[in-house]
Amino acid sequence: MSDNKTPFTRRDFIKGAALGLGLGAIGAMGLYSYSPMSRKHISQVQRKLADFGVCRGVKCKVISETSWFDNGTLMGDIKAAGGLLVDQYTYNWPPFGDGTGLGKGSYDKGIAKIKHLLPHRLEEAWELTKGLSVHPDNAGGFAALVEVEDMDGKVHKYLLDSGWSYKWMDEAFKREGIDKMLANGEIEALIISHEHFDHYWGLPVTLKYAPNIKMYIPDTFYPSGLQYIADSGHKGEVIKVKKGLRPILPGMATYVFDVPIICKVFGEQSLYFNVADLGLVSVTGCCHQGIILFADTAYKELKYENDKFHGLYGGLHISPFDDWDPKYDDLVIGLKKWELEKVGCNHCTGLVTAKKFIDNGYPVVRGTARFRTKDTAYLGNGDSIQFKKA
Amino acid sequence: MTAANVPFLEARKLEKRWKGPIPALVNLLFTLAIFYATWWIFQDPRGYMRLYTPYVGYNYTRWILIVLIWVAYIFDFWPFKRGWMEKAHPVTKGIVLTLLSTGVLLLLIKGFFEGLLGNFAMAYFNPAQLTKLPGVTAFFAEEYAATACLMFAAIASWLSPAWIVAMEAAPWQDLKQPARGLSIWIVTFFLSTLVYFMTMHSHMGILYYPWQYFTAITPPYWEQFADTVSGNFHIAWIMCCTVVVWLVETIWERYPFSAIKNPWTRRLSLFFAIIAISLALNFFLYYAQELAWGEAIRGSRRDAAPDWRWLHVGETAIFFLVPALFLYIYCDNWPKKFSTPVNMLVRTAITVLGGLAIYALYYRYAHLFLGTQKGFSHPQQFPMIPMIWLINIWLINTWFMDNWPGWKLTMKTDAELAAEHAARAAEQTWSPRMVPGMAVGAVAGVALYFLVVWALPVVSNAVNLIPK
Ligand SMILES: [Fe+2]
Ligand SMILES: [Fe+2]
Repeated sequence: MSDNKTPFTRRDFIKGAALGLGLGAIGAMGLYSYSPMSRKHISQVQRKLADFGVCRGVKCKVISETSWFDNGTLMGDIKAAGGLLVDQYTYNWPPFGDGTGLGKGSYDKGIAKIKHLLPHRLEEAWELTKGLSVHPDNAGGFAALVEVEDMDGKVHKYLLDSGWSYKWMDEAFKREGIDKMLANGEIEALIISHEHFDHYWGLPVTLKYAPNIKMYIPDTFYPSGLQYIADSGHKGEVIKVKKGLRPILPGMATYVFDVPIICKVFGEQSLYFNVADLGLVSVTGCCHQGIILFADTAYKELKYENDKFHGLYGGLHISPFDDWDPKYDDLVIGLKKWELEKVGCNHCTGLVTAKKFIDNGYPVVRGTARFRTKDTAYLGNGDSIQFKKA
Repeated sequence: MTAANVPFLEARKLEKRWKGPIPALVNLLFTLAIFYATWWIFQDPRGYMRLYTPYVGYNYTRWILIVLIWVAYIFDFWPFKRGWMEKAHPVTKGIVLTLLSTGVLLLLIKGFFEGLLGNFAMAYFNPAQLTKLPGVTAFFAEEYAATACLMFAAIASWLSPAWIVAMEAAPWQDLKQPARGLSIWIVTFFLSTLVYFMTMHSHMGILYYPWQYFTAITPPYWEQFADTVSGNFHIAWIMCCTVVVWLVETIWERYPFSAIKNPWTRRLSLFFAIIAISLALNFFLYYAQELAWGEAIRGSRRDAAPDWRWLHVGETAIFFLVPALFLYIYCDNWPKKFSTPVNMLVRTAITVLGGLAIYALYYRYAHLFLGTQKGFSHPQQFPMIPMIWLINIWLINTWFMDNWPGWKLTMKTDAELAAEHAARAAEQTWSPRMVPGMAVGAVAGVALYFLVVWALPVVSNAVNLIPK
């Protein structure tokens, strides 16, 4: 009991000190941590300003941005298989269907059915897998032709991703003349952004025309994904790009981010261009790392013309399934300060996002909504966008 | 004071079956085995039911926690008789009470939120109503409805126990069950609803573009302050409240507030102190991330985004709740041999170290067991799910099963209860003679804070938790 007649003791002091320690620490936590003073302890990043050269221009042609045709069907499959964390190779989607149904497949069982037909007998392979897979006609794919003009005026062609459905992608390749470019050896390399079904599983369609093509993949592929390269009949060089910057040409580099992604994929490789007199241009497959992180990484790491983020093309993975979350509004608000001058978006950007961009005054390049692209807010199948000083 | 008129949990005396740390280890193994089996059956994305979609499983996990609190803390196991609670086998009790809780859980989520509110109040509580919104798929309809429901759960998981821990069930403490439980239940549910509308409705309202501007206050009032429109800003401090309530109740023994003699001063000051401590913890945990990873960038995704950082505040807080509960449930709230403030300090230090260890272990190894992926910032992965799932199992083990198999239940005699009460009253006191020590301690506390602020960037540069 506390009566004030007994003398002050060591025990009182220690009790007080123990209580005071907590009070002092909690008080400081509450009063200091979110105050303006606290900012001075946060390390400011020194810009590295790495020089990766400069190019005259870059043009992106949309071979296909329609990765799947119906959101409801795709999300229905994902829902029935157990949600967004389930391994994509177990979905029993084409081309790895084995007839056992949603969420019960595996790469090994799926590929065994079609391996003997890859990469040249793709119509037969697709017919076969159609009978074994879930919703094969919902599969489309993402692929883009990237044409880089160097400072001497020479044009270098690259393929970014190889889509998903063998059937749809082969038609798209033929529609845009990609089949001939591949067969003639005009395309210098296939750059795979990430292991997702809609960007990667159509690999044999590229290899059908150019089995020796050089490939750049993020070094974060799963064993199944790596095996698919060999099983698809690839004979050329495979460059596994490590986390960070990988220069390809003067003014062109890829950058790998080691991010965990839905459907159990890990890592994404995106493209930076430094276009003469314009600035930085980003070209992305899904941009799962987030476009602002991608821009901010360039800001911290790279030197580019006018110190300006000029434009972008590709999927931005914001509301790919027409889903919405308040944090996506943060993106629409937060991207404003970069003052982009040219925006071409599609695929997993989400139509709601593209429309919000337009409503918020972003310089969105409208498309023509042909070949099953749903809306002109997207740069659609068969459309193209160029980044070059006039 | 007699055993019959104190709550069952307080009247219980749990006796270890074996000496030393063996009961704690046995129960840890037992509960971890249950954790992993149930994880596989219900949550694991490779497992049987795959509720970790993520939001569906997240929602159930959080509501289980609250239903357990209702059953044990608010309703004091009503309608079960005290005699049955004392005599029935712990395993029988565990099964019966868990089944009851599951029934309440389903009634609440399917009946109240989805059925009643979702059909007659706000469409976003009901997946079927949400799919009427153009473009919304069945999958996301279910995720959104689960999100709304679990945000309500976050608030209830703070307010429901706070009414017992801080408010001491007042003014209904002398009522019999179920009148006492119902009164507290209705008031905490009402308060949760108020807080929900003011913190989460704007988050959900944003779904309805462009109608959001008419259905909810968007962008919400916290936008500038929190650097995000996301309701995760509130999830952060509310989860801290949930954690702090239990720290107060367990390792801090409601001290120093228990020394306040006037009941209403004591109750109200503790109620608001929980909020104040939580806000301090909230801002500190946000700051800690800035120190470790640099300033957040609005509009970015993942670990650089303010909304993710706020969420991670709540996630980190929960990591610290795990060791605190373990200490309380399975280590008899060790140590008890010093004065209350010193005991509190030692337990807090153990909790901090334990929390850091669990945080590190989770990010280093959990993906190998839980069917998830490595890395901090997967937008669909929430460490709170496995942590709260484990906490739920511990609470079932201790509240429903009397720490079986490591412990056995006896009841305190009236004399024992009175002696315990007197000892607590004698120990948990306040005296002005503690002031000099407190002043010195406070200076040391502030110094400790700045030491941590200095060390965080250094440590984060030196340690990489995510395996290659
Ligand atoms: Fe994609
Ligand atoms: Fe993707």
